[in-house]
Amino acid sequence: MSADLVAAWRERVPGAFPRPRPLRVLAWAGFALWLGFALWWFEATPLRLWNGLSGFLVIIRLMIPPSPGELWLEILKGMGESLAMAFLGTLLAAILAVPLGLLGARNVVTNALFRFSLRRVLDGFRGVDQLIWALAYVRAVGLGPLAGVLAITTADIAVLAKLYAEAIENAERRQTEGIAAAGASSTLVVRFGLLPQVLPVMLGHALYFLESNTRSATILGVVGAGGIGLQIAERIRVRHWDEVAFVILLMVVTVAAMDWLSARLRRRLIGATSAG
Amino acid sequence: MNATLEIQSLSRRFGNTAALDAVSLSIPAGQMVGIIGRSGAGKSTLLRMINRMAEPDAGRIVWGGQQVTALRGQALRDWRTGCAMIFQQFNLVQRLDVLTNVMIGRLNRRRGIAARITALLGRFPDEDRALALSALERFDLLPTALQRAETLSGGQQQRVAICRALLQQPHTILADEPIASLDPRNARTVMEALRTVNRRDDITVVVNLHHLDAAREFCGRIIGMQAGRVVFDGTPEQLTEAAAERIYGAPTTRPAHGSEPTEDAILAARWAVA
Repeated sequence: MSADLVAAWRERVPGAFPRPRPLRVLAWAGFALWLGFALWWFEATPLRLWNGLSGFLVIIRLMIPPSPGELWLEILKGMGESLAMAFLGTLLAAILAVPLGLLGARNVVTNALFRFSLRRVLDGFRGVDQLIWALAYVRAVGLGPLAGVLAITTADIAVLAKLYAEAIENAERRQTEGIAAAGASSTLVVRFGLLPQVLPVMLGHALYFLESNTRSATILGVVGAGGIGLQIAERIRVRHWDEVAFVILLMVVTVAAMDWLSARLRRRLIGATSAG
Repeated sequence: MNATLEIQSLSRRFGNTAALDAVSLSIPAGQMVGIIGRSGAGKSTLLRMINRMAEPDAGRIVWGGQQVTALRGQALRDWRTGCAMIFQQFNLVQRLDVLTNVMIGRLNRRRGIAARITALLGRFPDEDRALALSALERFDLLPTALQRAETLSGGQQQRVAICRALLQQPHTILADEPIASLDPRNARTVMEALRTVNRRDDITVVVNLHHLDAAREFCGRIIGMQAGRVVFDGTPEQLTEAAAERIYGAPTTRPAHGSEPTEDAILAARWAVA
């Protein structure tokens, strides 16, 4: 195609050809500036990173070979505690989030003011991290796994409720309409029209949270909320790096096992639900 | 290059069923060929094999001295560019605008590192843009050029897909049930577009069709398939009622008294109304 024809098309449909975008260039320049400033501010120089790397290598050398130490029973108990915390916390959050998710869904609750205020409250809960909740609960109910369970539940209810609400809003209207048209009450419409559609999504979300909480429950112990985190924090304090390495390996294996289990469970539950 | 497409005893099994059973065909350049048959007769498999989106268990495809079934890498991509594919569900990228969807037909022309990097950045040369616009204008789609593909109707999307195929500057267009998801009027415009492409651009068109009235009307040559075999190959005039019955294994226009009309009969009736 000749240059003339290209020019003619450019004349006819200017929107189809890229134009210079000064605003976009400006935005990219601003981004580069901000990146440079942040690096300068935190003194992220290559030299510092290099020195940090050698310090890291020293730790790794001290970690080999990993050893369970003498208190290996304590370590196993801590791991069990962490798993139980993750499981209990996620279970509570997943169940408590169901009514909240329903109340927060536009197609279930039509009162905009109520829904708006509920969602803002949930936003507030979501703004606070699990670790902060853990610190607060350790003060409130004392050291130990209960604080961890409560921290996981509080932090996850809000997120799960939002995800549930979105799943409910994305449910197909035609299916619920079919139930309502058969003369069912509104609760029964939710039970038979909505639940079969959203339950697999909810279960999927809950299982992802279980996986992720297995990881985060290992760290809650650092602030005193029980579990394996406490064990690892103590060993880092006294520089028993070989035992730290053992605990880390144990965590990796546990988390991998949990991921595997939850993936299998998700496939089975969701497959069965959508078939039934 | 105008060469004859030679299909030589292609076979393919899926489990216990033979999708293709020693199919041999010769398609000279410039023909408009309709392949008809019930679903599962092997039409799609055959078309996908020509484009090399599916592989045969045995047999081969030859085109202009080139053994198509042995191509690899860049040569295979060039072959795919040369025989453009049209799909039943259009296979456009719904979130990209129509213009970009059409320009995708030019992607295989990007040779060299620099050209590939600009392609990765989503940029297309002005010439591609102009070519895409003129293709869209041909099929009355110019006003939609800057819309997302998902905002278009099925018939419009299929014509966008034809534009994409044209930008590949192919020697052959393979259309796999291009009108099966369209209402009768849109089906007609799409078939007319394919006929235009065949006659005016001198592109060989091989089109799979579910029912035979469209094939009768638009194709100069009709191939009937049943259970992976070619059971008919001739002109529309030669496709008698008895021949059609052999292909579909049931009467196609007048169902026997008291029996349910076949799906094909219903589709044929719908076509006739349009």
